[in-house]
Amino acid sequence: MNAALPASLLSRRSLLRTAGLAGAALMVPLSGCGAPPAAQNGVTTLRFMQNKPEVVDHFNEVIKDFEALNPDIRVVQDFNEGNFVPGLVRNDPPDVVTRGFAQATADFVKKGIFADLSDMPVAKTIDPKMQELVNSWGQYNGTETSALPFSLAAAGVIYNRDIFEAQGVSVPTTWDGFVAACEKFKAAGIAPIYGTYKDPWTLAQGMFDYAAGGALDVGEFFTKLNAKGAKITKDAPESFANSFGPALPKMLQLASFSQNGAASKNYADGNAAFAKGQAAMYLQGPWALSQLVAANKNIRLGSFPLPVTNNPEDTKARVNVDMALSITRNTPNMAAAQRFVNYLLEPSVVNTYNEKNAAFSPLTDAPAVSNPQISGLNAAVQEARYFQGAVTYFPPSVPVNNYIQSFVYSKNGEQFLAALDDEWRRVAERTAV
Amino acid sequence: MTASTLAASKHLTPDAPARSNRRSNREGFRINWWLTALMLAASLTVLLPLYFTVAMALKSPDQIGTGTGLAWPNPMNWDNFAAAYVATNFPRAFMSTAFVTVLSVLGSLASSSLVAYAIARNWNHRFFRGSFVYLLSAMFIPFPVIILPLIKQTALLGLDNPAGVVFLHVLGGISFNTLLYIAFVRSIPVELEESARMDGATTWQVFRKIIFPLLAPMNATVGIFAFLGSWNDFLLPQMLIADPALQTLPVVQMLFQGEFNTNYSLAFASYLMAMAPTLVVYILAQRWVLSGVMRGAVK
Repeated sequence: MNAALPASLLSRRSLLRTAGLAGAALMVPLSGCGAPPAAQNGVTTLRFMQNKPEVVDHFNEVIKDFEALNPDIRVVQDFNEGNFVPGLVRNDPPDVVTRGFAQATADFVKKGIFADLSDMPVAKTIDPKMQELVNSWGQYNGTETSALPFSLAAAGVIYNRDIFEAQGVSVPTTWDGFVAACEKFKAAGIAPIYGTYKDPWTLAQGMFDYAAGGALDVGEFFTKLNAKGAKITKDAPESFANSFGPALPKMLQLASFSQNGAASKNYADGNAAFAKGQAAMYLQGPWALSQLVAANKNIRLGSFPLPVTNNPEDTKARVNVDMALSITRNTPNMAAAQRFVNYLLEPSVVNTYNEKNAAFSPLTDAPAVSNPQISGLNAAVQEARYFQGAVTYFPPSVPVNNYIQSFVYSKNGEQFLAALDDEWRRVAERTAV
Repeated sequence: MTASTLAASKHLTPDAPARSNRRSNREGFRINWWLTALMLAASLTVLLPLYFTVAMALKSPDQIGTGTGLAWPNPMNWDNFAAAYVATNFPRAFMSTAFVTVLSVLGSLASSSLVAYAIARNWNHRFFRGSFVYLLSAMFIPFPVIILPLIKQTALLGLDNPAGVVFLHVLGGISFNTLLYIAFVRSIPVELEESARMDGATTWQVFRKIIFPLLAPMNATVGIFAFLGSWNDFLLPQMLIADPALQTLPVVQMLFQGEFNTNYSLAFASYLMAMAPTLVVYILAQRWVLSGVMRGAVK
């Protein structure tokens, strides 16, 4: 070994040199092709990140039509939403983004990631009440419009029309009517509601959000709660303990109408069973409709907003802005991005998308929804009798869905609400500035 | 089924001829039923999920919700494969994944064996011992912790593409692969090298002509680890590759999983197509994997 030392030293040095050269050679051409120039031969390439993998095909068609009308713009669609934050880190985010609008997106808005769209002419065509759903999450600088709603999902009770007709039950408009309908199904040996407790989110968006949304003004409650911040205690009038109380007995009553063994069923089980007619009602939103029809193409479905009081005027639907359009603030292709957003919000484009996907168009003069699966929610949406689900206001660091699940099993409402107050204060203390 | 009985009989046969001289022939060929049953049960853990994957890939949406899921679909829906092929733009995603995987495997083999050789043969230098500890310490850093800085750095270097994924796969594998290689290089007698040096071989020639060929079993092990890790990797390509057109298969397959909707039949058809190369490589290479793992473990 010692005799060979000079030789090995020499070759080690030359080896390092070769490795260094090879490394440099690898980097140079790559850095050249890293970020393709946005404008090539006068054609601007837009990157469009869209948050719903199941509608990729639809948007490919939309993009094809757009490119035919705008030959100077090429649009590349990306459904890999996980790449959004890396895009920001790279300082090279997509130009046009759609996102489901809730807590997580609101965080981006507060940091000024998205451009102000309030000056765009299409912003005036949007129903102000739906725009308010987006703005209520907070506006950058207090006035900016960071996102324009594109699709509104309204959730209520999905019901099996055949079972309702066979039992002679009409769509209930009051809580008492709803309970009577459930009793009737139960007496006939039909499970009134299909419960899927194994997936806690189904309990959260279903019975918890519906009962809470009917019992109190959810948006106002969280505005006050946020204003109170870390000073919240369970004795304060703004607390969960003092506001959500009336909703809980109704929630437990809903739970008591679930089929036996609901605790061991998940969302996929629920879709399969409900499609086979194993229950009369299903507390799910429009996203379940395509799954139900896929499992049984002959099923006749309808939806109605769950009445939580005995005044039909109070009945509200749970909505969420399923897709909201934004343009990233630092995009080098602002003009092209605005033209694309304008095109997407043309009535023919946005109304067609929503009609096809069992959702509601955000345009003020959108035609009434004709899809019988969701037409029962028409009145509530048109009269703006809707709320955003209470669970969507929780920061991800509060495992609210699991608290709801454990409440449904333990039925201990006091403990449940006290836990929510504690969790809220804990997070507020930690994030207070 | 066949795999398990094969494995069971393999376990029994090697010393059977030697023993049969002294013991009776019948005893030599006796089947160990307990072990066979155990192997059968164990093989179910592989075969059952595989069966579900194949059955699921051949079902139409309305066949999925019915029955226990064990039933074989009738009629079989072969269109799922075509639909998944078109939806994922399979050839393009496949090429991208293959590019990442092939280069990662070759890069891991080349870099880790060189590093291991250098460290193992210079163990008396403090610098090399230190660098070994340094490389090993990388194994204690959880990957998600460093992913955002990595994204920033790769973007600055123009590596926000499959080449960057290759680079990080090779880099990320160095610590573990070097550990495997070093154990193996130590077992190779230095005398072999000395004789080559007597004949005038340089260090590079010694490595290339003597050490690397002798590393073959370990090369197979490292190559297979690198292949599987690279082919199946989801997180790194998802975060790193900026251009959706260059995205790899595991990420493209997310297409079938919406927030509330999963297109099970297309998803499984597409998983099967993506699994095929892995299965082929494993079947071809399993001989070397097993022998390689055992050699590394003993010496």
